[in-house]
Amino acid sequence: MKVPLQKTFELPVPASAAWAFLQDIEAVAGCMPGAAITQRVDDSHYKGTVSVKLGPANLAFRGDIEVSSLDPATRSLRMVGKGTDTTGSSGASMDLSARVEEVDASSCRLLGTSEISMSGKAATFGARMMGPLSEQLLQQFGANFETRLKARYAAQAAADAPQAPTASPAPSAPAQPDPPAQLDGLALAWALLKNWLRSLFGARKA
Amino acid sequence: MGDLSELQEREQKLQGMGTSMLRKEDARFIRGQGSYVDDIKLPGMLFGALVRSPYAHARIRSIDKSLALAVPGVVAVLTADDLKPVNLHWMPTLGGDVQAVLADKKVCFQLQEVAMVLATDRYAAADGAALVEVDYEELPAIVDPKQSMAADAPVIREDIADKKEVGHGPRTHPNHIFTWEAGDKAAADAAFASAPVTVREEILNPRVHPCPLETCGCVASFNKATGYLTVYMTTQAPHIVRTVLAMLSGIAESKIRVVGGDIGGGFGNKVPVYPGYVVAIVASIVTGVPVKWIESRIDNISTTGFARDYHCVGELAADTDGRIKGLRFTALADHGAFNSHVSATKLPAGLFSICTGSYAIPNAYCRVDAVYTNKAPGGVAYRCSLRVTEAIYLIERMMDVLARKLNMDPAEVRRRNFVQAEQFPYQTSLGWTLDSGAYDAALDKVLKAVDYEGLRREQAQRRADPDATSLMGIGLSTFTEIVGAGPTKVCDILGIGLFDSCEIRVHPTGGVIARLGTMTQGQGHSTTYAQIIATELGLPASDIVVEEGDTDKAPYGAGTWGSRSTPVSGAATATAARKIKDKAKKIAAHLLEVAEGDLEWEIDRFKVRGNPAQAKTMKEICMVAHTGNLPDGMEQGLNAVSYYDPPNLTFPFGAYVCVVDIDKFTGEVKVRRFYALDDCGTRINPMIIEGQIHGGLTEAFAVAMGQQIPFDENGNHLGNSLMDYFLPTTVETPHWETDHTVTPCPHHPLGAKGVAESPHVGGIPCLSNAVIDAFAHLGVTHMDMPHSAWRVWTKCHELGLDKH
Repeated sequence: MKVPLQKTFELPVPASAAWAFLQDIEAVAGCMPGAAITQRVDDSHYKGTVSVKLGPANLAFRGDIEVSSLDPATRSLRMVGKGTDTTGSSGASMDLSARVEEVDASSCRLLGTSEISMSGKAATFGARMMGPLSEQLLQQFGANFETRLKARYAAQAAADAPQAPTASPAPSAPAQPDPPAQLDGLALAWALLKNWLRSLFGARKA
Repeated sequence: MGDLSELQEREQKLQGMGTSMLRKEDARFIRGQGSYVDDIKLPGMLFGALVRSPYAHARIRSIDKSLALAVPGVVAVLTADDLKPVNLHWMPTLGGDVQAVLADKKVCFQLQEVAMVLATDRYAAADGAALVEVDYEELPAIVDPKQSMAADAPVIREDIADKKEVGHGPRTHPNHIFTWEAGDKAAADAAFASAPVTVREEILNPRVHPCPLETCGCVASFNKATGYLTVYMTTQAPHIVRTVLAMLSGIAESKIRVVGGDIGGGFGNKVPVYPGYVVAIVASIVTGVPVKWIESRIDNISTTGFARDYHCVGELAADTDGRIKGLRFTALADHGAFNSHVSATKLPAGLFSICTGSYAIPNAYCRVDAVYTNKAPGGVAYRCSLRVTEAIYLIERMMDVLARKLNMDPAEVRRRNFVQAEQFPYQTSLGWTLDSGAYDAALDKVLKAVDYEGLRREQAQRRADPDATSLMGIGLSTFTEIVGAGPTKVCDILGIGLFDSCEIRVHPTGGVIARLGTMTQGQGHSTTYAQIIATELGLPASDIVVEEGDTDKAPYGAGTWGSRSTPVSGAATATAARKIKDKAKKIAAHLLEVAEGDLEWEIDRFKVRGNPAQAKTMKEICMVAHTGNLPDGMEQGLNAVSYYDPPNLTFPFGAYVCVVDIDKFTGEVKVRRFYALDDCGTRINPMIIEGQIHGGLTEAFAVAMGQQIPFDENGNHLGNSLMDYFLPTTVETPHWETDHTVTPCPHHPLGAKGVAESPHVGGIPCLSNAVIDAFAHLGVTHMDMPHSAWRVWTKCHELGLDKH
């Protein structure tokens, strides 16, 4: 079964900041409830996991993600992912395109289109719930994405602030990737994700 | 003459044919003392769990067993590569094709068997199965059979892609299995060209599953020292299975023992040989210890023995009086990924050519095209003979479509086309010889019983009432079934004729043991066969033991399916008993010192004609048969074995009426009345017959109202658990009213025809006709099953009936 999804998120940060965050695959994956990147194979290949509860089925998918295109000019990227659940009873694949569109100097919107395809137990038992579930997951994804993006943007702005008086206005500088910030962002994302997971599972198990 | 009450008493003591003797097997079943395959526990037994594909169509890149093998208790993981050395990774099917035992490089349907994990208990086996890592490359799947033969359709079966045929004539596409036709196409076309009235309807018989309460499974036990293989399994045909296993394994057939045990329902699901059985057997041969494999409910519904999936087009041509001049029926048959369709060698579409039904149709032509799709393989006869439900559903639906077109009552159109009582035996235009029937009488009796005219008046009032919140529908079905396969000249499986057998041994004190080649799955064989012998031999049924299913004990037979037990084995039972009776008569003549011709039979004894005081009871003869006081040259014992090759199939029939009320706002269909008259010829145990009719009608209700195995566009199952798959309970099941007429079969020694499948075959179109009849005045000519509340409501909504 295939579930086509389309979603737009309004973001209160400049398009360039959102685009920088979007390219951080680990961080973006971390915004997806239950998802995590477990290994970075190279710049465009990752391994990751997704856990999801679909009605009576608890599924833990393991799979590969490939960034198949990344275009700074249009601030768009495309990712394809494919995996099987750890018991071999379900398969899932995803084809996702995302684009950052500038609204004005301080805000932008993220437009996402994806198609998720499920096989096996996930499709049999999950089909009737896939629509609402995807909607809910995306809602959470959007909220996480915005929170983390804003946090990173704020951290970045704070880090940039003291340097501002001495720094010469080099036009190419902001576009360059900033590895430490990225790592910080990843750490932040992880912290957020861990807290979120803890609250989620803590609450469920109580 | 002996006084009447004494005769009656003697007769009652026998509990022979015609009496509603309580089922002998039930004393055991109701105490929980049945012994099903999962009850069998052998020392050192391993459990097998199958790893199944989540994809409907995919290539297998690799299989990693290491994690599974690390699970405590896991002994081995078998894949196709492990079965290759013994050449058992593929197996022949009953449909003339081959089927992968474990997927060989590719999977072709969802939940196909990929590997088996063997472990010391079933939990460890299941844990291990979850850890076998299979790397799949998903391929596009074909779900709609109408797409199978498209020029650019993916090839499902690469293993046979270049084969010109797979058992049943030339193939025109890699996804084509066979094309089968019957009748005279030119004559049928000519009838259509000249007929003033023609009707055409596309009618689907959806993919369903018999869903017996007990799923499939086996315990295979190979003894390395003796080379002897014992398999306890859920099978409706133990002897045929033994032959298949001998062919597959190379083990001498004399060293293979298949035991059926108690079977918790079959309904066709337990005829084929499934991969799980074969892997368990190989596993036992390899390990030298017993191996048990038991299916889960989901596996059962998803992978074994589906039924139907016939996408039909029905056409009838008639004159303006409603007399049918021509019939053209075609079907596109979805056989899934392997043609493991259970069929006689010469009948790839089963008995579909019974589709002229109870009607004298001078020109008929039918054709079935079978194709592969990425769905589970099979095509079993779900409580019917092969493809008979599909055929009868089509003709009984088309009779209503024709009646509607002619603006004539459906009962009248049927009456005008019935084969008349005096025309039997009647040769149909598609080649069958209907043995006996009295269709008019049956229909008249039913219409009178339900006050058919009154019902039609009520319906007219309901339709005229603008405030009515419900619709009323009246359905008819006047079907003819074809059962009791079958004459060896037309029917064989793997070259083995579909005769059947009975061996009877009479003990000195009058106890009897009878062994048969059939296999009961709840039909009450222990009782029915005992009653036949009781009447034939004059010995009480209570002392007659019936054994089936153990191939070491019973004589060879084709098993129980297609309502063949009474028509074939019942006849073998009668003929074996008559051989014994003939010998007993010689002994009686010897003891009474008269000629055989001077003896006559009376209930339980031979009497000297004209001298009734001189008599020998069967019981006395039983003892004498085991002494030296016998006619010259006669051997001791009272034993016989018969193999019965029926001269023709049998054709039970019936007339059913169903009345439904449909809520316009919810689409809920309430069966108000269902009146079923069945004629199965001579009736052996009326109570068992009634039970079988109740069961068949309930399964007809299930199919008509709710059963279906749906798939999504990628070949994912969307309804393979009992959460979705409809099994009616007493809550949903309507009240059944039963009735009968008796028109004996002229060629059967007892005149019996077989009954358990008639209500299923006749019941489904009757229910469908009732639902569709409720909408007939609104121009609706057909609605596909299942008539679930959602689908019926959708129709109401389309027609605007749910508006105030």
